[in-house]
Amino acid sequence: MSEVQWRSSGLPVTEAKDITQSSLTLDADVVIVGSGAGGAVAGYELARRGKKVVILEAGPYVPSKDFTERFPDSLETLYQDHGGQTNKSGDLLVLQGACVGGSTVVNGCVCFRTPDFILQDWQRDFGLSDLTSEEMAPYFDRVEKNLSIEDNKEHEIARHGQLIRAGANKLGWSVKPFKRNIRECALTGHCLSGCKTERKQSMLVSYLPWATAHGARIFADTRVTEVLADGGQARGVRAEITGHDGAKVAEMTVNAERVILAAGAVQTPLLLLKNGLANRSGQVGKNFACHPSLYVSARYPKPVHAWRGAMLGVYVDEFLHPDKGGFVLEDGGAGLAELSMTAEPGTGEPFMAFMEDAKYLAGLVTLIHDHNVGTIRWEDGRKVIDYQLANSDFPSMKRALKAAARLHLASGAEEVYVPSSDQRVIRSEADIDAAVEGLENQPQHLRMVSYHPQGSCRMGADPDTSVVNSDGETHDVKGLYVADASLLPTSIIVNPQVTVYALATRIAERMA
Amino acid sequence: MSSQQQTARRLSSAFQQGVTRRRFLKWGLVGSAGVAAAAAGGFALLRLSPLDDRPKPDWADGLSRQEYHLFDRARVALLPTVGTDLTPSDQVPVVRNVQGILGFMDAATRKDVATGLTLFDNAAVLFHGKRFVDLDEATARDYFDAWSRGNVVQRTLGTVIKQLTYTSYWRDESTWGPVEFDGPVSDRWGIAYLGNAPLPDQQPDQATEEGNA
Repeated sequence: MSEVQWRSSGLPVTEAKDITQSSLTLDADVVIVGSGAGGAVAGYELARRGKKVVILEAGPYVPSKDFTERFPDSLETLYQDHGGQTNKSGDLLVLQGACVGGSTVVNGCVCFRTPDFILQDWQRDFGLSDLTSEEMAPYFDRVEKNLSIEDNKEHEIARHGQLIRAGANKLGWSVKPFKRNIRECALTGHCLSGCKTERKQSMLVSYLPWATAHGARIFADTRVTEVLADGGQARGVRAEITGHDGAKVAEMTVNAERVILAAGAVQTPLLLLKNGLANRSGQVGKNFACHPSLYVSARYPKPVHAWRGAMLGVYVDEFLHPDKGGFVLEDGGAGLAELSMTAEPGTGEPFMAFMEDAKYLAGLVTLIHDHNVGTIRWEDGRKVIDYQLANSDFPSMKRALKAAARLHLASGAEEVYVPSSDQRVIRSEADIDAAVEGLENQPQHLRMVSYHPQGSCRMGADPDTSVVNSDGETHDVKGLYVADASLLPTSIIVNPQVTVYALATRIAERMA
Repeated sequence: MSSQQQTARRLSSAFQQGVTRRRFLKWGLVGSAGVAAAAAGGFALLRLSPLDDRPKPDWADGLSRQEYHLFDRARVALLPTVGTDLTPSDQVPVVRNVQGILGFMDAATRKDVATGLTLFDNAAVLFHGKRFVDLDEATARDYFDAWSRGNVVQRTLGTVIKQLTYTSYWRDESTWGPVEFDGPVSDRWGIAYLGNAPLPDQQPDQATEEGNA
């Protein structure tokens, strides 16, 4: 094995601007498509075991020092489709990182293990009998240790979190500090724009540099266009390297007997569909869950400054289990741009009055256990995220919304703003039912955001009803693996990054 | 029946029928945009506006003249600051910022958005006898409010225009002081960079044993 070459900062990435040939051919043991949660972890775990690893990332390499801490700018530079990726009807923004490090660069650091009852569902409904809590525990332990995942300390619970915690306690609801993957949080509140000073333990400052220390090579600006396979065996990939001006710089071929797709729950199925691979079951791109969230803002009598301090402090798990509602409430900081787009306080003067009071606003994020009713597909050469909140999930969304309103009021809020297209303001418990029950499950009525797309290449024991097995290998193509949130057979209610890290660790270990 | 009346009737009919979701192409900065290409495509302007002859600024090469005036009207209607400490919107490059956001769209989506904006502008003739760009501020706000309660086409277009306008205002640093928004802080606070996390102390063999435990 070659010498380990760890560097204390920065990441050796080959970018389009570094390419001088029009065609490149590389040989590797494993080629990985995507450098986010799944790809980076798999890359490191394989590289440190002596495998020759190449990681291809379609997005740019943006070093931490270039993060601007301006959310609208960050949407344009770090996110898929410059922050404009939505479902087909346009009422649900699907936010995914599109840069080296993927969504781990721009997430809120929230870490949950996969709930036991979710693993039990997977065992029962998808034949994933080996994915028990006991089996997964060592993988969770490992990633939690590697990524400094710990409970928020008291100073990491900002004013908005303190308010929400007090309200939850008043209601007698279970409320806990988040676990986050962060070292010495600087309390800037700019998580969604990337952590400029490298405290968030994203892949950009952890698994990717570790993978390169063990010899892995990373290419940015490199979009895989074709997965090579013959005789039911993966052979590698073809890709295009494109400059930031949109001009193609070079073509690349990577020959490898192992291909790991970790491009995320939208791009991974699109790639398989484009190549007509691994879809004997017809399930590629199906069973997509968006895990839709709402940001419920409220005005408090004293200044909160929701942009100050750690972005996410505490969460309410009182309703986590499906038998109790199947949703979580997370306190969430926000900046001006986000606040301006989440509520509909009225047009003109009412809106400007709302924003003039922005320092009095605090927010709650609702996350529900949605059904896997969506589809990812191509249509006229363009990707389509066909997802509308199922009617069967709408009651859950409304329950979460009502609970968020109750919690805000119990926390001392004077006005709660329903995130709908029309003006709905709640000022007392008596207002809640009327404001929420009047909502309709229609496109463009709720302002939803998906931070956790998942489920589009689901795992399962049955090749007729699933795309990959519990080791992440596709049923149809030997050596072709999936290691991102596409795997998840159901939505897991909570933030999924740790689940993806753990599954990717396990998949890589079994491949090695 | 005049061609204008015919056009108005066709447009109204499209609304009444409710344009199907499939006829939209979606885009949104935060959650929106759909554009009724079929409903508005090919229509001439329902009514001329005095603004039609007024030039757009030199920098606005990414906007049509009509789009420029539409967003400038939206700026005035949606971002009133009289009587507040907020930064007047005419001191903020709102429309220029809108242009920047639209510039990130792929060509097909951008074309659909253009069609939707035309629809939004012209449909005001049916309700108020004037194009949106010619509505006074109060009527323009009423128009937005009515669309927020309308069908999916109306909700979509109303939302996307609002959000483009709002974001384009609040992203500008000059708007932050009056509301005590801190903006970027790391450099200002002199926060040290931590660099990469230390390599884990896992050895290949140990890790395998760990994983098989």
